[in-house]
Formats: sequence, structure tokens, C-alpha cells
Amino acid sequence: MQHLDEQGGRTHQRIWELLPWYANGTLAEAEREKVEAHLAICPRCQEEEEICRRTATAVKSVGEVAPSPHPVQLQRMLARIEESETEAHSHAGWWRRVMPLRALVEATPGPLRVSLLAEAAVILLLVGLLVWQQFRAQPAAPPAEYVTLSDPAPAPAPSLGLRVMFSPQATEREIRDLLHGIRGQIVAGPSPMGVYTVQVPADGDPLKVILARLRSEPQVAFAERAAGGEAGRGD
Amino acid sequence: MNPPSSFRDILFGMPPNDELALLRRVAAKDRKAFEALYHLYYRRIFGYLLKLTRRVDLVEEVLNDVMLAVWKGAASFDGRSRVSTWIFGIAYHKALKVLVRRPEEPAEEDGERPEPLDSEEPESLAVRRELAGVLGRALGALPAEQRAVVELAYYYGLAYQEIAEIVGCPVNTVKTRMFHARRRLRNLLPGLGISSYTG
Repeated sequence: MQHLDEQGGRTHQRIWELLPWYANGTLAEAEREKVEAHLAICPRCQEEEEICRRTATAVKSVGEVAPSPHPVQLQRMLARIEESETEAHSHAGWWRRVMPLRALVEATPGPLRVSLLAEAAVILLLVGLLVWQQFRAQPAAPPAEYVTLSDPAPAPAPSLGLRVMFSPQATEREIRDLLHGIRGQIVAGPSPMGVYTVQVPADGDPLKVILARLRSEPQVAFAERAAGGEAGRGD
Repeated sequence: MNPPSSFRDILFGMPPNDELALLRRVAAKDRKAFEALYHLYYRRIFGYLLKLTRRVDLVEEVLNDVMLAVWKGAASFDGRSRVSTWIFGIAYHKALKVLVRRPEEPAEEDGERPEPLDSEEPESLAVRRELAGVLGRALGALPAEQRAVVELAYYYGLAYQEIAEIVGCPVNTVKTRMFHARRRLRNLLPGLGISSYTG
């Protein structure tokens, strides 16, 4: 008797879990028949099924707010795609350069590969030892106290790269003022999508602040950090 | 608002083979095909993300993340499910991730209250507006995983197997989430007035 009660309890539980899908009419025929057979004898499930139906009706009646995309949103999306493609190509380029070397390693027979690896390790060790000895032998050079015309030029100030797309309505003057405001310089572009690479000095405002300022301007359709953060090459 | 003839149409807009052909072109990096897919899905994903996150401030950003993932991952789509199931699965996971990363600031109490009812408004419309507010708050109180199952089952009318595919979990987990959601809604709704709703 207890066994039958337990079985009935499990059936009730299984049917109870299926009621939302009985209410939305998506149960397979076999399951639907089982639910209907149980509903005929279970007042609690009948009540719950009614609640599921009422909740479903209420959820549907709330409706959905979904605007159509604005052309600028699509432009931004396409610019992001352009950006991701540029990144993907630069990774692919690196991989292409490495691939022949990898193929060569894979083509080398196993034992030979081990001995070559050991030789390479010994050579590296010797080179490292030589360099270390050179460093120890030479005292540090005193700092230069004078500058001649033949001295190398000082290293360029570090800069950060941005990818910017201006709105089609932006005038040349507005773009110039925007760039002036962030101490930026166009170093490459426009890409086929109209994206420019802009360089800003690294010692200025944080990149986040510059990006936020650009994005708040109606003349800017898209502004992102360039891949790697440094001002990159053009497209 | 008039409900569409079938809520499944909101989710599954186009015949599956047409969408698959479009996605194959996207996989071949066809930008025109991507634009078509973007237009086809924009409103559907927007509505779905808004229901899932209840955060207007996040929807646009997540939607772009979803579409970028579609662009990058189109070649890896294996065709075992519908294109829409795959895309809505991406949207589900992106939405949950952003909700964890950027939890909502506690809202002002006043902002949560429904707009005052207009005495000139027809009674049925007023009731519906009030219900929307009540239900919105009750659904908003659910964890996002449970809310997703409720919306997918009740609003979009999906079978539990389809929901399991979208949210990427076993069917029993879907049933369990719905079980907990029902229990919480039952606790929340009588006090909020849904028991007086007559459909």
C-alpha cells in the first residue's frame, strides 16, 4: 500500500512539473495523455494547471518593447566587425609565419628531434654564459654629459591608439576640433568602413576618459581602443 | 498591444532553411548577409534581452556582443539545432554574464511604482497596465535563470526541450527552474493582485 502511495506521489510530482508545458500546448502526445489522465483525478493539479494558464496569459499580455535598429547602430556594429577582422588577420599572419617551422619540426623523426632539442639547449646555454660574462667584464658606462648632433634622436613619446568612425554628417572643422580636444592625430585610415586610427599621447587623459568623451559627441559614430592599445598601422 | 498570432513566430521568424542559408553566407564573411541577419534578428533579440535582463541600459551593448559572436562563430554552427535556437542561446549566455559583471544598482522606490491610472482610460486597458506593472515586478524578483524559463515557456510558448537547448542545460534542470519560479510567483502574485486577474 505504501509502495502504491509512493508511486502515486512520484507520478503526481512528474505531472506537476509538466503542467506549464501542458498549458502552453507543447507536450508530446504521450506526455499530454498522461497529464490528462492524472488531471482527471487530481484536484490540486487541476488548480495548478489553471494557475499556469492564467500566468501564461498574463505574461503574454505584457507584450514586448522592441524598436527597429537605427542606422548608426548598424554602422557601429559593422565597425566592430571590421575591428575584429583586422585583429583576426594580424593573428592569422603570425600563425602563417610560424606554421612552416611547425611543419618542419613535425616532419623531423622523433629521436632526431630530441637530439636537436638538446643541442639547441646547449647552444642557448653557451650564448647566455657569454653574454653574462660580457656584462660582468664591462663596468656600466658613465652617463653622457654632452649631446652631439650625431647622437641618436630621443625616443618618440609613447602614444595610444584609437579606432574612430565619424558620423557622416560631421564636418571637417568639427573633426579637427574633436581631435584638437583630445590632442589626437590621425595616423591611418579611413578603412573601407570609414574607420580612422587616431594616436593620442600616453601621458594625457586616461584612455577611458578620452573614449567616453568621444562617444558622447554626436559627430562620433564609433570609438574603441585600437587592438593592442598602441597606435597601429593603417588598413 | 495586439499579441502576434503565434508567439513562436517572434522567436522563429523565417523558415529554418532560409536562415541556415543566410548563416552559411555569414560564415563565408559576407557582410551583406550579416546586415540581413542583423535586421532579421535585431528586434527579436532586443525584446528577448529586455525580458531577460530587464535592463534597458545593457540591452544594446549585449545585442552587439551577440551579433559579433554570431559573426565570429557562424562557421562553427553545426546545424544540429535551429539557427534561432543557437542565436538565442548565445544571447542567453551573454545576458547572464553581463548581469553578473554589472549587477543592477538598487532602484529608487518611486521608480518601481506603476504610473498612476488615467480616469479617462477604458477599464480593461487600465487593468492590463496595472497587471503589467505587478507582473513585471514579480518576474523581476526572480533570478535571471528562472525568469528566462518562464518567459521562454509562457511568452514564447516553447517546449521544455527547446528551452533546454537555448539555455544549454538538461531538461530536468529546466523543469526544476520552472518549479522554483512557479513557487516564487505563487508567493509574489497573490499579494500583488494577480489572483484577481480573470484573463
